[in-house]
Amino acid sequence: MSAAFSVPEAAPAVAWREVAVRYPYAANLAVGPVSLELRKGERLLLLGPSGCGKSTLLGTITGLVPATIPAEITGEIATLGVPAASRSPAEWSASVAQLFQDADQTLCGMTVGDEVAFALENRALPADEIATRVDRALAKAGVPESWRARRTAALSGGERQLVALAAALAQEAALFIADEPTAHLSPDAAARLHAVIGGEGETFLVVDHRLDGLIGTIDRVAVIGRNGALFAEGSPRDIFRARGEVLAAEGIWRPLAADLDRLLCGIGIVLERPPLVLSEIIDGLNRLSPADRTAAGTVIRHFLSDRIAGPTASTRPSCATLVHAACAPLFAKPVLHDISMEIGPGETVAILGRNGAGKSTLGATLAGLLRLKGGTRTGPAGGFAFQRPETQFTEGSVRAELESIVGKDAASIDAILSAWRLENVADQHPFELSQGQKRRLALATLTADTRWPFLVLDEPTAGLDAAASNEIASRIAKIAADGRAVMVITHDMDFALKTCSRGIVLDGGSIAADAPLIDLLRDGELLASAGLNAPELLLLVDWMEAVPC
Amino acid sequence: MLSMLHPLPKLIVCLVWLAASIAVFDPRFQAGIVVLSALAMIVIERRSPLLILALMIPFALFGFGFLTTATLFREESDFATRMAAETPFGSPAFSAGIVLFLRAIACGMVSAVFVLTTEPGRFIKALMANWHLSPRIGYALFSALHLVPDLASEAQQIRLARAMKRGRVPRRLPGPLETASLVVPLLAFAIRRANRAAIAMEARGLGTVSVRTIVGAPRLRPADASFTIVALALLAVLFILTSGVWRAW
Repeated sequence: MSAAFSVPEAAPAVAWREVAVRYPYAANLAVGPVSLELRKGERLLLLGPSGCGKSTLLGTITGLVPATIPAEITGEIATLGVPAASRSPAEWSASVAQLFQDADQTLCGMTVGDEVAFALENRALPADEIATRVDRALAKAGVPESWRARRTAALSGGERQLVALAAALAQEAALFIADEPTAHLSPDAAARLHAVIGGEGETFLVVDHRLDGLIGTIDRVAVIGRNGALFAEGSPRDIFRARGEVLAAEGIWRPLAADLDRLLCGIGIVLERPPLVLSEIIDGLNRLSPADRTAAGTVIRHFLSDRIAGPTASTRPSCATLVHAACAPLFAKPVLHDISMEIGPGETVAILGRNGAGKSTLGATLAGLLRLKGGTRTGPAGGFAFQRPETQFTEGSVRAELESIVGKDAASIDAILSAWRLENVADQHPFELSQGQKRRLALATLTADTRWPFLVLDEPTAGLDAAASNEIASRIAKIAADGRAVMVITHDMDFALKTCSRGIVLDGGSIAADAPLIDLLRDGELLASAGLNAPELLLLVDWMEAVPC
Repeated sequence: MLSMLHPLPKLIVCLVWLAASIAVFDPRFQAGIVVLSALAMIVIERRSPLLILALMIPFALFGFGFLTTATLFREESDFATRMAAETPFGSPAFSAGIVLFLRAIACGMVSAVFVLTTEPGRFIKALMANWHLSPRIGYALFSALHLVPDLASEAQQIRLARAMKRGRVPRRLPGPLETASLVVPLLAFAIRRANRAAIAMEARGLGTVSVRTIVGAPRLRPADASFTIVALALLAVLFILTSGVWRAW
């Protein structure tokens, strides 16, 4: 039986000393130099803009980089007190569980039950212990029992992420590494993951962009800059207050509360304890003098107006309509029945629902990409940003991909490359980009093309840093202002609230609600039944309505 | 029902049927194998007869090559024409072609019975548990078995993306040019997928112990013995009926 390695008490769980990684034929370092320690029992959040080398750094912990993914490494890496290279990546699996950014790097294509048991079988654990651990992991991750016999390849992107989470949890390893674990998870599934990370005893290293809900469980934050070097580390409260401006400039995510705190500090309202969640800010606001509260109210109104999309009412004929539609994925039975909806020019609509609710199927059907199994669809085809951006790439370089849309006009191409921060990778093959860069390229090509009267964006912010997410939000606003419609499929409630005025909730194979988004997000019963959570921002909206200032 | 059987006895039975199909040079025997295989899938497995007919098309095209070769280039298939000289299809060359044609379909249909009624995961587990197949080779084989449906699914995704770029709904079936243009992206997908699967298996400890636990490996049941006996008996009866041995009795 393969046993986990014991950690010397004084040794950190992971230690990088002056580590730098360079991939073959690459001119620049992928990451580094980085000197950082992850202490035993600690929950460390690694932040940085997309493409800065966070995933590469995680890969060095078990030697996947360079043993499986070739690279040149300088510096020292010690995992659980011994050099990472002293064991093979496979031998580390008893002590280190890894949840990769791409679920397909965690899963091997088996049935759900076999996937979750796979790492335990490889350690030759007794069959009854494997059964117990698999049951426990499936329950912890919230994977329904009915999925056990399903092949993971037949699941939706979010469902696969959930199974990957269960597979990593089943390892019950001393060190748990998660690379953007919530990118495709519905809010209730993300909350379950946050509860796991908040548990006692184990050591967690997490890279994630969705901080609200996660940040309260984190002990320490380390930040890598665009140049791949570590530039800050410390407690979350200190880092977000002291380095908030720099983080914003680097395009790195901050909790909403940290952003608002920065604005309040700007007008001289400094809360005693730097806040991580909006409820802490509200507590602080309640203790302010009436004059300060009035000043704070002005700032908060501005803060909210930047983060909540205004209403848009379309009176013109609809762009596309579905009537009593039965919508099915390719080569599959219908997952949505009796769908009737329309999308009008200039509208911004969020499609919400739990993993596997049929959101992508609805989007692709409305865009005219999937044939109906029943009912009717009217209207022209729409543009569709696929959940896996590679699907859209057909050219040999980033520049050529953009030229296929806007022609050979170098000035236009350079402007797009600059707007989406792709100028440094313009001549690279699209498949060589990081996940975040691939998504930016896919969205850049889609939004640059003006042929479509409406766009459907499937999980547009998954894997993106704050700067890219803000860029997409402003593009969506511009597209809508130009009279085109945008439909956003997302689990990111804050992004939905920021970009969309209307919401559609899918549940139980049909449309459970179709109404102004802010009204939907205040319907607790609806959210609970559809596996959604209200965005944190609504706490502030409610406070502003309850406390005139 | 065939899907519930242990994969290994089923594999042995299918190999025996394939060997018989290759060894017996009689069009009636080959036709009997095709009919019995098709009936097994339609009656026992409840597969659509149309699907079974569609499955026969590639094997029939392959077999048609044998038929034309045997008919037009008889000197190159001397053994086949001599073996077929006694059959009731007129010219020996044409008879030999018919046998080769039916053999291609028979082999294809027996293989299809195994593939369509065997879940790859169960098959690999059975090979590892019973025949001590190395897990590294077993899971490589497992990935390869799943590659075909996954490639088909990826091809459809790429077709959707291209159709969107062109502003047209994709045709139900791709034309020759479109099919050719899919080759390179699908090759790239297959390489990426293999790379990801290798990372996933490595990161989750494949190959760290010499004897790993296998959860849910199929177990032999009385039904497997019954299936084996019935399948081999059917083959024997088919041989006796088509070879004329029974006349000697």
